Amino acid sequence: MSDHYLVKDGHCLAVFNSTHRVLKAEGLLKGIGIEILLIPAPRALQTDCGLALRFDQKQVHAIMALLKNHDLLPTYVSCLHNGQYIPCEDSADAHH
Amino acid sequence: MLTIDCRGQACPAPVIATKRALETSPSGVCVLLDDGAPRENVTRFAQTRGLTVTETTDGQGWTLQISGANKAAVQKPASDNAAVPGERILLVTSDRLGDGDNELGRLLMRNFLHTLLETAQRPDRILFLNSGVLLTVQGADTVEALTALAAQGVDLASCGVCLDFYQKKDQLAVGRVTNMFSTAEQLLDAGSVIRL
Repeated sequence: MSDHYLVKDGHCLAVFNSTHRVLKAEGLLKGIGIEILLIPAPRALQTDCGLALRFDQKQVHAIMALLKNHDLLPTYVSCLHNGQYIPCEDSADAHH
Repeated sequence: MLTIDCRGQACPAPVIATKRALETSPSGVCVLLDDGAPRENVTRFAQTRGLTVTETTDGQGWTLQISGANKAAVQKPASDNAAVPGERILLVTSDRLGDGDNELGRLLMRNFLHTLLETAQRPDRILFLNSGVLLTVQGADTVEALTALAAQGVDLASCGVCLDFYQKKDQLAVGRVTNMFSTAEQLLDAGSVIRL
């Protein structure tokens, strides 16, 4: 099961390894009206930065394309399915 | 046993009403509720405080008999460290956490409130003053997390003068409006106050 009240099945989390990068990504996506929420990364996905952008899985392709165009790809993306975090294929070329 | 009728009320009102009723009726309370979130949240609130919940339904609504209460159990979840008796209050006087860069401060405050949802312990009450009230109004990124905390029985109170000053009085999205009289009383009565 998810240990995160703010993440439900069908949500994806883009986890970043840099506070500056996640803030830039948040500003970019919110600036064009995409619904996201910046939250602490769940324990299961914790990184040093510990921050993730939450969004609906239906938006994953559009969001990843935008982030790629602005050189703001996350470290990786995981989506919650049946209480389990599954790596998203769109994060294969993520920023490391 | 005290009976309160919370039918027709949306969350978190039933949880807050139940908490207050338990504080005045240590022998237990009987709560009339609608099915769904109100029933689930009140049951969770009582069970996390080690209270016994007995449910019955007449097909239209639910009656929850909550017993085993004492004031300490009502005020603090069963898992809490009871070293300090009384309410635990978070005093939020800014929409930023800490001194330094404003953007980082806002990020840290959001992060803190979101993380509260994952911690084993909860504050009993969060008081929002000055720019802290900007965390409870429409459009704030913290509303979702605060709504979840309220559903778990955390009382959220925003300073009315502050909402008025920031011209947000009609935009309160979560919790209730409070005044300085209540704020001062609650701070002085608290077992512990954590200022952010």
